[in-house]
Amino acid sequence: MSDVRAQFHNEMAALEQELLGVADQAEQMVGMAVEAVCLPDMDLAAQVVQLDSRIDETYLDVHNRWLRLMALQQPMAGDLRMMSVLLHLNTTLERMGDQCVNIAKMAQITYGLPRSETIIAHLREMGDLVRPMIRTGVEALVRRDLDEARLLPAMDEPVDRLNRNLYKEVVLCGPDPALLEWATRMMLVSRALERIGDQVVDIAEQTAFLLTGEMMEFNEESFPGGSPIGV
Amino acid sequence: MIEDRLRERSLREAPRVPSFEIGSRAVEDPSDERILIEVRDLHVYYGSFLAVKEVEVPIRQNEITALIGPSGCGKSTVLRCFNRMNDLIESARVEGEVLYHGVDLYGPDVDPIEVRRRIGMVFQKPNPFPKSIYDNVAFGPRIAGFKGDMDALVEDSLRRAALWDEVENKLEESAYALSGGQQQRLCIARAIATSPDVVLMDEPCSALDPIATLKIEELMRDLKEDYTIIIVTHNMQQAARVSDRTAFFSVDVSEEGRTGFLVEFGPTSEIFTRPQQKQTEDYITGRFG
Repeated sequence: MSDVRAQFHNEMAALEQELLGVADQAEQMVGMAVEAVCLPDMDLAAQVVQLDSRIDETYLDVHNRWLRLMALQQPMAGDLRMMSVLLHLNTTLERMGDQCVNIAKMAQITYGLPRSETIIAHLREMGDLVRPMIRTGVEALVRRDLDEARLLPAMDEPVDRLNRNLYKEVVLCGPDPALLEWATRMMLVSRALERIGDQVVDIAEQTAFLLTGEMMEFNEESFPGGSPIGV
Repeated sequence: MIEDRLRERSLREAPRVPSFEIGSRAVEDPSDERILIEVRDLHVYYGSFLAVKEVEVPIRQNEITALIGPSGCGKSTVLRCFNRMNDLIESARVEGEVLYHGVDLYGPDVDPIEVRRRIGMVFQKPNPFPKSIYDNVAFGPRIAGFKGDMDALVEDSLRRAALWDEVENKLEESAYALSGGQQQRLCIARAIATSPDVVLMDEPCSALDPIATLKIEELMRDLKEDYTIIIVTHNMQQAARVSDRTAFFSVDVSEEGRTGFLVEFGPTSEIFTRPQQKQTEDYITGRFG
């Protein structure tokens, strides 16, 4: 098959590759940020902040290249949908980086405070669930695999449940004000991890849009079919 | 008989805004939009060579329908079937039906001249007559025996074609003095001066610069209030910008030659965002093979 828009397709593929690299970095940053909180490790926290500034730079670069491609190439059909996906992916990954920074800052703010090993185990479990979600979400996009994309809501469900239940551990920290301060901050860490899980589900929805041309909201009610919400 | 009306309706009687009185058999589609022209199982031959096969396209009233596809796919051939322009090619033969207001345009009693008055055409290159601007517009109505206020008709046609303001003080000057874009709008004025229902446009902007092209596109959007427009274009962005529905044609290549066929027809927004057929997707994203 000959491709009369090879240059455009190459540039679009390069944007996708760039963003897949960012997704790998985001996955790594989630692990680092959770460990920065749990160990705690201030060097790791600083590295997360540093890595995020690189994601921000890539975000701006990708956005500019994306705009140029749209203006100059005016893509259509599957190409148009791919460009839409790339724009969403760029924004979503940038926000995931920001959430990792939020977690890293909690590590810095709570450094030296007393801690609850139960809550730390709880957060580690959430991190261990979220990182494979990022991997699965990215693989579904790379393989253009709708079935794999549809796995994400089910993978996100335990993350949501752990986030909802964390408060039960936090209230047990009540008698000790310093421990309570630490535990309250950890609720924000949990919330950040829960948001990252939702953002991966958003990526899966974008993959479904790329493949079907229909925007699906992968929420609990509609899972596993998803409900069209229009294009 | 509808056929008699097609032959006999005088220009004065013909409504400028299409009337549905003569279209009692016009087809309704499920979305309740009126289909003005229904193409059924259309085949076009040049001699024994099959140029276009199995075309089914419903043309809706007051919409712009774009016909797109690679060279040789038969889109211009199909366009020319809508007003029997293929009659002028000796070896051309049309099978199937082109129903206009429910009347087969290829019926034995239908007068092709009346068909072309009701279904006008604008060509790829502006082709004004070597006459004044005024006479270019008045030409068709005069031939059709128009007895009304010719000045008013010429002005109205030029206004509808968004050209009046540029030519009102030089109506007696040669049409050749106009720019390419102005000449094309003059040809549109000439086409609508005979009060057609439908205006066919065969790559109307391919000889024009981008600004003149955008003016014609803007004009098309205005014209569809009163007319039904069918456009053949090589410019997919143009089809995406101006049309309501798009028909994508492709071509089968065999030892006998190249035969065009309809791949997909649907709302333009669908065709250009999520076409149902891989051939359409490959063509509009530039992947052929």
